[in-house]
Amino acid sequence: MTGMASSIWLPLFALFYIAVMLYWVRVSSTSSLSGDGFFSAGHALSPWISALVIAGASMTGWFVLGGSQQIAAQGFQMPVLIVGGVLLALPGTLFFKRLWFIAERMRVSSQAEIFRVYYHSAFLVVVSVAVTLVFALGFAGLQIRAVAGFIELMTGGAVSRLSASVVLGFILFAGAGIGGMRAIGLFGVIQTVLAFAGIVALSGFALIWSGGFAALNAGLLDLSASDPSAGLFTVNGVIRFTSGLGRGGELANANTALANLSFAFALMGFQASPLIIKLVLSTRSPNGIAAGQTWVTAGFFGAIIAFCIALTGAAGLVDRDLALGGLFSALQTGSPWFAAWIFIGVAAGVQLLAGLALFVAGEGLIRHVYRPYFHSRLSKQGAVTLTRIAIAVLAVLAMLMENLTPVTLSALAALALPMAFQLWTPLLGVTWLPWITRPAAATGVGFGIAGVLLTEPLGYQVLSFFGLELPWGRWPWTIHSALWGMAANVAAVLIISAITNRNALGSEAREIRQLFSGPLSTSDKARGLRSTAWSVTLAWFFLAVGPGLIFGNAAFVVTGDSGPIWLLGMPSLWAWSLAAWVSGLGLIWFLSYKMEMASPVHVAVPPYEPPLRLKKDTSAVEQERLRSLILTGAVGFALAVLIAFSFGG
Amino acid sequence: MSKSATVERDVLVFSIWAVLGFGGLALILEGFSRDSYMISLAGTLTIVVGFVAHIIVNGVFDCGFRPGEAALGIATFGVLALAFIASWAVGGLSSTDYWSGLTLFALLAVGLPAYLSTRYGLRGAFSRFHVRHADDGKPAA
Repeated sequence: MTGMASSIWLPLFALFYIAVMLYWVRVSSTSSLSGDGFFSAGHALSPWISALVIAGASMTGWFVLGGSQQIAAQGFQMPVLIVGGVLLALPGTLFFKRLWFIAERMRVSSQAEIFRVYYHSAFLVVVSVAVTLVFALGFAGLQIRAVAGFIELMTGGAVSRLSASVVLGFILFAGAGIGGMRAIGLFGVIQTVLAFAGIVALSGFALIWSGGFAALNAGLLDLSASDPSAGLFTVNGVIRFTSGLGRGGELANANTALANLSFAFALMGFQASPLIIKLVLSTRSPNGIAAGQTWVTAGFFGAIIAFCIALTGAAGLVDRDLALGGLFSALQTGSPWFAAWIFIGVAAGVQLLAGLALFVAGEGLIRHVYRPYFHSRLSKQGAVTLTRIAIAVLAVLAMLMENLTPVTLSALAALALPMAFQLWTPLLGVTWLPWITRPAAATGVGFGIAGVLLTEPLGYQVLSFFGLELPWGRWPWTIHSALWGMAANVAAVLIISAITNRNALGSEAREIRQLFSGPLSTSDKARGLRSTAWSVTLAWFFLAVGPGLIFGNAAFVVTGDSGPIWLLGMPSLWAWSLAAWVSGLGLIWFLSYKMEMASPVHVAVPPYEPPLRLKKDTSAVEQERLRSLILTGAVGFALAVLIAFSFGG
Repeated sequence: MSKSATVERDVLVFSIWAVLGFGGLALILEGFSRDSYMISLAGTLTIVVGFVAHIIVNGVFDCGFRPGEAALGIATFGVLALAFIASWAVGGLSSTDYWSGLTLFALLAVGLPAYLSTRYGLRGAFSRFHVRHADDGKPAA
C-alpha cells in the first residue's frame, strides 16, 4: 500500500469525527441559552445517557492506555486492574443516589456546592476544585500526551507530537468550552460507544496476531516457565517493608497484595471525584443509577476490561511488538482504515475524560471559588464567559505542560486518583455517616492529602527542592499513596469527630439529615441485610483485591512432569480475577438493589427554601479578600524562593 | 416528538453509525485489500445490522428517517455505486472485489423496499412512489 493511501484514513476519520463533534456542540449551545444549561445541561440528561457516559469516562481511554500497557510491562502482578470495572462502580453505588437527592433538594449541581451547603467549609470547596485541576492538568494531560505521541507514530513523524497536542487542545476547548455540560453529555455517548468499539477491535487484532487464545496462553505459559519472567504471573507476597521506590525499593518486588489493595482504593477515587459527580448531578432522574452502575459499568465495561484490555496487555507481554504502540504501527501499515477507526475510538475516550475534567475545573475556579469569595455580583452570563476563558487557559496550560514538562505532568497525574480518594470521608459524612463533623471532615481531608503528597514524587521532590530530604520514596512498604493518605485521613476523622460537637449542624445539613431519615430511609428488609452486606463486601475485598490474592497465585495451576500446567488454559491470576469480576458484579448488584443503595426511588423532593436573610453588600470585603490573596501569594512566593535559595536547589 | 426525545434519538443514530457504519466500512475495505469475500461480507452484514438498528431506533421513537438522513444515505449509495462502476470500467476489480461490491449493492437495493414494506405495508410502500397528483381525497370511480 502506498504511503499516501495509508496515511489518508486517519485525517479523513479525524475530520469526520470533528465535524460530528461540532454538530453536537452547536446543538448543545443553541439549547443552553441560559447559564444553567451550560453548567449542568439544565439537569436534563437522560439516565441512560448519564449511565453510559459515566462508564465511558470512568474507564475507556485511560484504562486502555494505562491498563493494557501495565499488563504488557508487568504481567499479572497487579490483578486488581482486571477487576477495575467493579472497583470503579463501587463508589457510585454508595454515593450517587444520595448525592443526587441532596442536589435536588438544595438545588446545587456539583460536589463543591454540596460541601459548601453541608459543611460550610471553604477548605473542602477549594480541595474539591484543586482535585479537578489535578485531573484536568495532570491526569487528562498525560493521556493527551500519549494520544499525541501515537499520532506522531502513526503519521511517521509527519505530524509532530507538539502539533498534535495543539490540535487536540483546540478540539478539547471546542467541545467543552463552547458546548458546555450538555455537549459533554450528548457527544459523550458517541465517544463512549466509539471507544468501546475501538477497544474490542484492538483486542481482536491482538488476539489474531497472537495466533488465537490458545497460542497466546501457550506463549504466556512459556514465559512463566522461565526464571526471569516467572514473577510476572504471581502476586509478590502480602507486604514488603521497603522504603519505597527510589529509596531502595525495586519495582520488580513492589507488586504485593497490599500494593494491589491500595491501588484498588486509588481506583475507587475516580467516581468520588468532582468530575463524575458533576455528570450525576446533571441527570434528570436518579432511577438509572443502579442499572448504570451494575450492568453498564461493572458488568459490560467490567467485562471489556477483564477480557479485552487484559488480552491486549497479554499480547504485548508475550510479544513486545504487540504492545500498544506496536499494535497501532502494525495496523497503520496493514489496515490503515482500522487503525484510524480504532485510534479515533481510543482518542474519543480520552477526549471525553479530558473535556469533562477541563470543564469541571473551569467551572470550579469561576463558580465555586471566584464568584462566591471574590465577586458575588458576577452575573450568570458573566460566569459562563469567564468559565470559557478559564477552560481555554487550562487547555493551553495543559498543552504547554504536555510538551515542556512531561515529568511534572506525570507526577501531577499520579496525584489525581489518590487525592480524589481522600474525598471519601466528607462524602461519607454527607451521605451515610452523620457523626462526621465539619472540623473532622476538613482536617481529615487535609491530613489525607498530606499523606498522599508525602508518598508521591511530587511531594517529596518539592520538599527536596526546599532542602528537606524524606527518608522514604514512592509508596513505602509497597503501599500506594491512596492508602497512606486514607490512613491519616481516617485517623484524623475518628479523633476529631470524637471530640467535637456532632450536633453543630447548619440548617441545610439538618434538612439533608431529615431527607435521609424520612422519605429516603432504607427499608427494614435492607436494614436486616446489613451484616450480610458487610461480610460479603469484606470477604470480596480480601479475596479479590486484598491478601487473598496470594491464593490466586496457585489456585488454577498444577505442577506436572514437564512444568506447570494451567488448569483453565490461562494464567491462574487472570482466571482468579475473572472469578473476582463475576462475584464483584454480584456484589454491586446486591448493594445497588438489595441494600437499596442505588435502587430507583419515586419520591418528589421539593426545593429547600432557605430562611430569608437580608442581603449585604459584600463587595468591599471581597475586594479586601482579593488583595489579601494576592499579597499572601506574593509573600509565599518570596519565602519559597528564599528557602529554596538557602537550603535547597 | 419532544425536543429532548429528538436529541436522544439523534444521539443513538450517530452512535450506531459511528460503530456499525465505520466498522462495516473498515471491514469492507479490509476485504478488498485482502481479496477476501468473507471479510467483505462481514462488513456488508455489519452495515445491514446498522440499518436494522437505525430502523429499531426509529420504531422506538415512532418516527421515520429524516430528510437529511435519507439524502445522506442516497448520496452515499450513489458515490459508492459510482466508485464501483468506475473501478469495474478501468479493470481495477478482482473477481472477489466484484462479487463483494455486488453483494453490498444487492443487499442495499433489497433493503429499501424491505424497509418500506415493513414500515408502510406492501401496498403503502408502493404508494410512496405512485403519487396521484389529482387525488382530491374522493374514492376512485
